[in-house]
Amino acid sequence: MLEFEKVAVLGFGTMGAGIAQLAAQGGCAVTVLETDQARVEAGTSAIGAFLADGIRRGKVTPEQRSDILARVKGTTAIADLADTQLVIEAVTERRDVKRALLEEVAGTVAPQAVIVTNTSALSVSDLATAVPRPERFAGLHFFNPAPLMKVIEVVRAVQTDPALPGRLADFARALGKEPVLVKDRPGFLINRLLMPYLNDVIQAYDDELATAEDIDTALKLGLGYKQGPLELLDMIGLDVHEHATRSAYDATLDPAFAPPPLLQAMVAAGTLGNKSGAGFRSQENAK
Amino acid sequence: MISATKTVAVLGAGTMGSGIAIVATRAGHRTLLYDLTEEQVDRGLATVRAFLDKSVRLGRLSAEQGAAASAGISGTTDLKDLSGCDVVIEAVYEDLAVKKALFGELDEIVPETAVFQTNTSTLSVTAIASGSRRPERVVGTHYCNPAPLMKLVEVADGRHTADWAHSATEEYLRSVGKAVVVTKDRPGFIVNRFLIPWENNCIQALEAGLGTRESIDAAVTGALGHPMGPFRLLDIVGLDIHQQVATRLYEQLREPRFFPPPMVERMVAAGDLGRKTGRGFYTYDDTRLFGS
Repeated sequence: MLEFEKVAVLGFGTMGAGIAQLAAQGGCAVTVLETDQARVEAGTSAIGAFLADGIRRGKVTPEQRSDILARVKGTTAIADLADTQLVIEAVTERRDVKRALLEEVAGTVAPQAVIVTNTSALSVSDLATAVPRPERFAGLHFFNPAPLMKVIEVVRAVQTDPALPGRLADFARALGKEPVLVKDRPGFLINRLLMPYLNDVIQAYDDELATAEDIDTALKLGLGYKQGPLELLDMIGLDVHEHATRSAYDATLDPAFAPPPLLQAMVAAGTLGNKSGAGFRSQENAK
Repeated sequence: MISATKTVAVLGAGTMGSGIAIVATRAGHRTLLYDLTEEQVDRGLATVRAFLDKSVRLGRLSAEQGAAASAGISGTTDLKDLSGCDVVIEAVYEDLAVKKALFGELDEIVPETAVFQTNTSTLSVTAIASGSRRPERVVGTHYCNPAPLMKLVEVADGRHTADWAHSATEEYLRSVGKAVVVTKDRPGFIVNRFLIPWENNCIQALEAGLGTRESIDAAVTGALGHPMGPFRLLDIVGLDIHQQVATRLYEQLREPRFFPPPMVERMVAAGDLGRKTGRGFYTYDDTRLFGS
């Protein structure tokens, strides 16, 4: 049972496209808002390519692919969001950008429409103050790639109506995901646990505990992790991790979140992981 | 697979020692299992043979391989029987004085060319090696539990370890089919160095009400792809063992993230040690581990 059948996604980047696809797969009619037509087309073709890959791997049929794509409409006009029941914000991780857009969208959708943010680094309670009636605001934190990852964090802001997290959890289940209810604290739950571990690994690698490959191998074989921490960082993007852990550090002054000097240096040098072709393991993995 | 058949002695017939002895004999090395009493040795040998029998039943070893591995191992309570050893692997109780004394005694017995490997998880390889007058032949080799099933061995040289001893150790570990990672003589090597603060952090998140044991376990397995959530894992490891390892690492590193959170002390005080006592973070009807 889908409480929210008309869903808007703000932003058609990697996360926005993944969330739009997931909601459309779950049967929602999805409208994705972007700033220009080129970005709308890029996002649409990203979903198309993701689903084409699913066909190759036998996970999706061609009919399902066209049904899903038919349920996703891109737009650059905010007025197209007027009858939306649930708005999922997934634009760039900048407070000013998110707040301005949320305020504008809140003025367009119905007063009872639910608005959520997919932020991973900002305070949901702070973003909630950008919309009138902030009790209808919460966080819905998807992991990348959204269509594949099993877990969605449902974030209760200070202002959130106590009934809303349960409704969002039902929505997550209807999309086939496992909702985890979390507090609005830096990093919520998963990143709160993951960031100190990744920082710790980066520092130990800088301190020459072992090679990058041996650190990854030890944790994969010793603990059964699918990915070693340094491969994971290359996949996430060193700049993305640096931004997230710095935000958590700024919010808590907890040294566990402080970006290690090597991470800062690599980001400054443009060594960002897989996307830049060089990272902790990327060079070694490049054939 | 076997580069050369060696004579391997394993000191300590407990869980780790028996497991390491299985690894040695299964690879075709002549294996000697040592402990202080006949009873301990016999129990260790029984563990080894039971494991080998089960491997044959499960089809992991042929009947001939199982019989050869079983025939290739013997026990002793006399250190003098180690005189012909090429490799000595120490896996006794995690006590520095005991480990040092053993290596000191063995100096007189085993040939100068034999390599000494110590399976410590929390002590310094350098400190253990100082018990031998030839610390250059001592190498740290940290196996994961259960040793016969886990491929990983962390290898760490002490301050005085010689290149020949390190090479001989890597060669031996490859001959028994292990995956070797090379690290330094630092507390916790790689795996425990990162696992202990991770587990402590998860326990703190639970204490802080950031989630429930179920939601944190589900989030970690679902979002990070770990095979098991932190609380299921702690229940298997045992809260007392976690407390012991964490405390030893903290004592050496003095970094608060290694220190076990108060909840651990409360659980240990209450006897809620995990699966082995039927209650830890979760409760269990069946207290057996690994289907043993």
